[in-house]
Amino acid sequence: MSLLEVRNLTLSFRLWSGIVDVLHGIALSIAKGERVALVGESGSGKSVTARIVLGLLQDLPGAQIGGEVRFNGRDLASLSRHEREALRGRDISMIFQDPTSSLNPVYKIAPQFREVLARRTPRITLAEARERATALLQEVAITEPARVLDSYPFQLSGGMNQRVMIAMALANRPALLLADEPGTALDVTVQAQTLDLMARLVADHGTSVLFISHNLGVVREFADRTYVIYRGRIVEAGPTQAVFEAPGHAYTRALMAAQPRLTGGALPDIVERDPRFFDPVVLHGVPGC
Amino acid sequence: MRRALTILTGNPLTLTGLVLVALVVLAAALADVLAPFPVHRGAVVDFVNFNKPPSSDYWMGTDLVGRDLFSRILYAYRISLILCAVVLAIAVPVGVVLGVMAGYLGGWWEYGLMRVTDVFLSIPPLVLAMSIMGVLSPTLVNGMMAVTAMWWPWYTRLVYNITRGEKAEGYVLAAEVIGATRAHIMFREILPNCVPAIVTKMTLDAGFVILIVSSLSFLGLGVQPPTPDLGSMVAEGAKYLPDSWWLSVFPGLAILIAVFGFNLIGDGLRDILGAHR
Repeated sequence: MSLLEVRNLTLSFRLWSGIVDVLHGIALSIAKGERVALVGESGSGKSVTARIVLGLLQDLPGAQIGGEVRFNGRDLASLSRHEREALRGRDISMIFQDPTSSLNPVYKIAPQFREVLARRTPRITLAEARERATALLQEVAITEPARVLDSYPFQLSGGMNQRVMIAMALANRPALLLADEPGTALDVTVQAQTLDLMARLVADHGTSVLFISHNLGVVREFADRTYVIYRGRIVEAGPTQAVFEAPGHAYTRALMAAQPRLTGGALPDIVERDPRFFDPVVLHGVPGC
Repeated sequence: MRRALTILTGNPLTLTGLVLVALVVLAAALADVLAPFPVHRGAVVDFVNFNKPPSSDYWMGTDLVGRDLFSRILYAYRISLILCAVVLAIAVPVGVVLGVMAGYLGGWWEYGLMRVTDVFLSIPPLVLAMSIMGVLSPTLVNGMMAVTAMWWPWYTRLVYNITRGEKAEGYVLAAEVIGATRAHIMFREILPNCVPAIVTKMTLDAGFVILIVSSLSFLGLGVQPPTPDLGSMVAEGAKYLPDSWWLSVFPGLAILIAVFGFNLIGDGLRDILGAHR
């Protein structure tokens, strides 16, 4: 059984000017321990999908959500707000684009770490939390955990903060990790390092990952399976290898062609709309899809 | 903390402010010891020594019923400072809590709270306080209420704006993602980020509260005689300018020192707290 099963997910926002449809029936599934990428350009609906999975959009008055999101067999829509809050930070956690702004500037790392650990162990003492945090920071290759714990986020480098965020996200051993363009705000070498680290850790703990990105190179390295999303529709899905080697959908081909190359050369523009981009979804021989 | 103290005392203007405020606070706290004529704070009449210019006996002269002005100014400071503390102690928490709620919760909270503050802010502060005092009887407690009523909306505005900015920060989303409650996010995550601005505004406001309270009593709507009050002393003396200049000049200077001192500290704090953001 899949850990996360999203069926026919639709989302529209009610605005003064009318209703704006954002998602038009997203379907995706993540098995236990699987790493799945969701790829698309800005505004295609990648991030809102992640927020629905986290249950962050359900309480927004203007958002209308249809379809089904099942986590561990339970329909998220059937859960109360309290139950959804209980899932977050324990069974599902998330890593963000900009690690430095994701940490509160007025607290040192140690108390922020404790808040995260307290989600699983409400009565954890400061000393216990410190001990756990030290171990977790060593896991993400931080060599001086004590110094990091006693620093404010703005005293640490972006790469350091990213590792702290990864350690926090995995601290409660979540079943599902949502990574929303992690490290986009960092430089490329640091980004590569932290992604390696994340890949190793999720493999060790058997964590499933939904990896949201527009960076095709990173996706190809990291993900087992890939979904390509265009204007709120999944246009292509399959094992990463198959999608990258034989892209079947016109939009996927356009996206791949827009990759900058080290050797230079002009980039083709992706046209805003092309009737072929609305072709039916291309599936790469995935059983059960 | 130590760094902040170094910067605070390193700037000559801020240091001046600290010294002035310290003097005012000491004067108020030690009024019983420092005042040459402690009984003169009440309804005492000494017609032998009335309306005397400054001398070695009466450093700042005497008023129209022969009371020592210096003693009365010390006691007036005490009342001003207490008033100031009470006003800020009520207005700041109320304003800050409402501001964070309006900024973070949004929707009807935002509409309701911000329109109410708009109503308060649309009335000139002195007029608002005067009308409250005019309806109620002019006593010390009513004075505090009137000034408090006109003060909290400024804090709501300030904190609302900061909260709107902080709400977009990653750490708020990160807290939502780990399932933090709304109260936790408002008061443990966002509020600490508003503290520098609140503290700065409080210091600046301490001076203005003293000024407003003095203005009210200058108009006869504040503390009533025979309780000494800087504003009413200035008002009383102004009738006898320029001959009996000491009657209004010394209380006026006393107001100036307190307001100036608080403002200098406020400016210094703004520099320190604004620097690392």
